[in-house]
Amino acid sequence: MLPPSSGIGQFAATSAKVIRFVRAGCTNRPFYHIVVAERRREQFEPVIEQVGSYDPMPNANNEKLVSLNLERISYWIGNGAGCSGPVEELLGLAGYFPIHPRSYMTAWRNRRKADEEAAAKEKADDSNEEKSETSSSV
Amino acid sequence: MLRIISNLRLLNSFPENMHNCQPVRWRRKPMWLPTAKSKVFRVPPRPQISEEEDNELKRLNNNYRTAMNSIRRYLTNRYSVKLQAKADTEQLKKAFEEDLARCKAINDEWNAELEKVRNERIAKQLEEDIKFAENRKLELLKREEEMLAQAEEIVRKEKELVGTFITPEMLDEAIENAINNPVDYNFAIDLEGNKILGRETTPVEKAQVKQ
Repeated sequence: MLPPSSGIGQFAATSAKVIRFVRAGCTNRPFYHIVVAERRREQFEPVIEQVGSYDPMPNANNEKLVSLNLERISYWIGNGAGCSGPVEELLGLAGYFPIHPRSYMTAWRNRRKADEEAAAKEKADDSNEEKSETSSSV
Repeated sequence: MLRIISNLRLLNSFPENMHNCQPVRWRRKPMWLPTAKSKVFRVPPRPQISEEEDNELKRLNNNYRTAMNSIRRYLTNRYSVKLQAKADTEQLKKAFEEDLARCKAINDEWNAELEKVRNERIAKQLEEDIKFAENRKLELLKREEEMLAQAEEIVRKEKELVGTFITPEMLDEAIENAINNPVDYNFAIDLEGNKILGRETTPVEKAQVKQ
């Protein structure tokens, strides 16, 4: 059973805090809570505070829903909390942080792959057409 | 990680009679099995990143880190509890001054009490000192008087003796007198403790003086 999201975690004043995901979905259905926790704690231990949620599966309108409590995020970052990589990416896409380099990298790799695929498809189509033309002429 | 933990948890929570059961929830092989024989010598291919892409990524990462440092600093200045506590200098100064005033009042009170005690003590000390000095003076005077009396006594005795002195005029007479009256200081003691004066006297003469 997951501990409540309201944050019952015990924490030391000087310990390292981090804002990160906790997987709160079930099998084949990921869903994440964005929480503040002590860095040395494991994922499913009680958290200090939940500051948002993230649903990575697109809904009917092809949207991935994110909720963020930006005031609390600002507070915690201002008091020395770090962010995990995925959270940094997400906050970058949300416009709170600058866009994470990994987002750019994924984007241009996807673009390149799409271009290559399109080029390959075009080539295949061309060769097919040539083939049909030659066959018709004969 | 989750799988390993789950395996461990399952291990710990297995009842005695369920050793032959195989957990099917985590379908991968258990953690104590070695690498598969077909995978032992497999070398996974390294990711190929072109120099151009690498440079671009470095540039982006540098920019990102700079921006993040700046954002973090801004948020720290704005929200940090410690900094806010530190920055509130006026409040701190006021608190410090109040504390100082309180301490000063207590200190003044103590000083007043101590001054009273000290004055009493000094007055008493002075009185005692004066008394002591007077006593010493009296004692000194007394001793001087005693010394004077002793000296007077000595002088008086000497004056008494002056009459018996042998002067040059009386010298012949004194010598004659001494020769005429010889004094024998020798003596003996017999078994009964009697002192027998004189060198030449015999015990028969009974010049006995019981001591």
